[in-house]
Amino acid sequence: MTMTADASLARQPATAADDLVVSVRGLEKHFPIKEGALQRVVGQVRAVDGVSFDIRRGETVGLVGESGCGKTTLGRCVAALSDPTGGGIYFGLSAQHRDRLDALLAVPEARRGEAERRALAEIEAAHRIDRLQGNAWRNFRRNCQVVFQDSFASLNPRHLVKDIVGRPLEVYREASGTALTERVVELLEQVGLGRQHLYRYPHQFSGGQRQRISIARALALNPEFIVLDEPTSALDVSVQAQILNLLHDLQQQRNLAYLFITHNLSVVRHMADRIVVMYLGRVAEAGPTEAIFDRPEHPYTGALLAANPDLTDDLDGAMRTLEGSVPDPARPPQGCRFHTRCPVVTPACGWEVDDVVRWLADREAGFDRLSGVERKDAFEADLVFEDDAAVAKLSAALRSDAVPMAMREATEALEVRGRKLHVRFRRVSEVELTPRGPHHEAACVRSGPLPV
Amino acid sequence: MLTNLEEHDAIVRAPDVIASVRDLKIHFRGKRGMVHAVDGISFDIRDGETLGLVGETGCGKSVTARAFLRLVQTPPGVYAGGSITFRPRRVCDDCSGVGCRECDGTGRVAAHCPACGGKGCRTCGGTGEETVDLLSIPDAQMRALRGNRIAMIFQDPGKALNPGLTVRDQISEVFLQHRTAEILAAAGVSPNDVLLRRQASQKSRAFEKMLLAVPPLRSGRNRVDAALDTMVADALAQTQIPNPRKVMDRYPHELSGGMRQRVMIAQALACNPDLLIADEPTTALDVTVQARILELIRELQQRHKTAVLYISHDLSLVRRVCDRVMVMYAGRVAETATSQQLFRRPTHPYTRGLLGALPGRGAHRGRLAAIDGTVPELVDPPAACRFVGRCPDEVAACSRTDPPMVEIEPEHAAACFVHAPPGKAAATRPVRTP
Repeated sequence: MTMTADASLARQPATAADDLVVSVRGLEKHFPIKEGALQRVVGQVRAVDGVSFDIRRGETVGLVGESGCGKTTLGRCVAALSDPTGGGIYFGLSAQHRDRLDALLAVPEARRGEAERRALAEIEAAHRIDRLQGNAWRNFRRNCQVVFQDSFASLNPRHLVKDIVGRPLEVYREASGTALTERVVELLEQVGLGRQHLYRYPHQFSGGQRQRISIARALALNPEFIVLDEPTSALDVSVQAQILNLLHDLQQQRNLAYLFITHNLSVVRHMADRIVVMYLGRVAEAGPTEAIFDRPEHPYTGALLAANPDLTDDLDGAMRTLEGSVPDPARPPQGCRFHTRCPVVTPACGWEVDDVVRWLADREAGFDRLSGVERKDAFEADLVFEDDAAVAKLSAALRSDAVPMAMREATEALEVRGRKLHVRFRRVSEVELTPRGPHHEAACVRSGPLPV
Repeated sequence: MLTNLEEHDAIVRAPDVIASVRDLKIHFRGKRGMVHAVDGISFDIRDGETLGLVGETGCGKSVTARAFLRLVQTPPGVYAGGSITFRPRRVCDDCSGVGCRECDGTGRVAAHCPACGGKGCRTCGGTGEETVDLLSIPDAQMRALRGNRIAMIFQDPGKALNPGLTVRDQISEVFLQHRTAEILAAAGVSPNDVLLRRQASQKSRAFEKMLLAVPPLRSGRNRVDAALDTMVADALAQTQIPNPRKVMDRYPHELSGGMRQRVMIAQALACNPDLLIADEPTTALDVTVQARILELIRELQQRHKTAVLYISHDLSLVRRVCDRVMVMYAGRVAETATSQQLFRRPTHPYTRGLLGALPGRGAHRGRLAAIDGTVPELVDPPAACRFVGRCPDEVAACSRTDPPMVEIEPEHAAACFVHAPPGKAAATRPVRTP
């Protein structure tokens, strides 16, 4: 791998064609977990936990990941439908402004000087979507539209198609009366419907037609950017093909930028210029579509690709599958979040006390005897058992082949102290994205191609 | 029980066919007339094979599957004709279902025809094996087959599992309904113990339950419960659920989607059925979970040699999972073939359209071969090919009469005047090859 040379390529010099529509920087969205009669906050679900990427004009960015990885939440934040907990979404930055912003954000908040703080505030006031005011806010709103997955739930069942598609035009005083009707007919024709559909209700349409109405509504104000949240996952393949063709044609005609959120890898491969793979609220890998599909750098991407059935697969090879389930996003694993399921784990991936507890939960004998876990931090704790025999048994088990090799190697201390078992793992920090190729980044401690 | 003796002979002559659908018609009474959801389809399911049923929403594939268990709601549904002949097996006596040489490791052996006791008569066509028409047998007999000889995995495990029952209660029901004798034997209780027998078949009334809570009788009840727990845990362990004893006490909402689907599979395979109907079992799941569930179904199928009717709209999945594929369009069969044949040489324009519409490696962006138009309404459809109006290769004959199923090569048949012209091929009968 020529990592050092490619690292400089990842940030190319600014050109006019490099105009950005949306830039996401360090975005976080946490949902509080409330408990009891007083609804006390007992924890946070880290749905999106530090995500950064750019969407350029006329480009499609695919956002893929399993359910619960935070891709829909991210889409809602980008469309300003929910407020982020941290980080920011910047709209309409020029390339110079983007570079300036990145330089400013690279300085930790405590060490920013007065001039830097003022410069940052200036950019934020003009571009950060939760700081926009008045006309700038209205401008953002009309330029950013959303098409939702469930077209039945996202169209008001008591409104006529004319009202649904015409409403954005009314709100922005673009047209009224017969002019409005004509504009609506024009929009319907663009998405393959017609004048005869004006005075009908959503329930009178098929799933594909309803999704076309959603798209017509999103197009009404001639936006620059559309968030497509699983637009075809409720549709049949033949209808999906029609909608994908339509979306592509519209993009060609209007130079639209899409954020295409989906779990279908075949669709995203077909549609996206660049792909962002998310896992448990963080970006696992991001890069150009061909690079992601031909040379996946993150084992999670590799696993997703291997699990995706394709008409050109080799049928003799068994489908490679992932073990285990997605961990609880309220307590994301330390180090690399994927290490609990990763097929190529190393001792440096962030083994922690929770891994022992998780491992015990899958065993019948022994876990019932565990009465408590006294944690010092995520990597060091005392496991308290009800009797001495269970402690000895677990301690022996943790030294045996029953646990993954990498986990044993990452164990720094394993001592029996009466009814307590003291465990300490190697301390590691969260794995950051590192450049792997032109515009291609992955968050994995390993480097080099994945072993097949 | 069987109406058409000629059809009946067909199934009987092929010993490996365990279910045979002939000219099945299921209609729904609508405001504007009869909706012909399934309109005369015929196919066979052979023992131990996976038959894929592919088609788009509303093509009748789920209704066909539900007809096997007689789960179509009537009214508005109407079984308008045809038959589904099924050959139920019974648990092997020698190994009590574990699998031995006698039953070829499946744990199931042929059941004797009740009319002749296995000697061979007209009802069973001389084979001596029990043969029933699923659409005409009495409700009690159907109930004895459901979940026992024919089981079903539903699309959305979140909706198909009862949210008010624990996993233990949910799976216990299957055993209580169909395996009372086995429960009692495992618990070491005499089958003549009326109270416990009723307890082990879900027939206990409130006062009987109270009686069973009283100390001398309680030990018996506890033994029955323990035996039942073991059976449930074994069923769950088969689906590779880690720590089944713990999962048993959970409610469906406490489990992830993949785990719920495993519980559904455990429940469906609990009684080692002859035929498993999987109605889009992975549509509600993530791609990584989907891959594991598919592997699981395939592994369990190979171990028990169960026949599977696999319903899906995803051709790339069907290609991986199925031995034979049947493509349905608007209530009719468009094409049947082995999996290899279908993907190597798709014949019906609809099959070709479906394959072309998949975004794959070769397709250029914006150039997916979408099928124009929409699925026709099935209210009193005229005698014509259902694909008329969307078909790129249409000829005049297409809108005049129904195209018959024509065999193109062994095992491969299509209903199309253009690509499978009648007369050229060896046979024009409904597809079935020895």
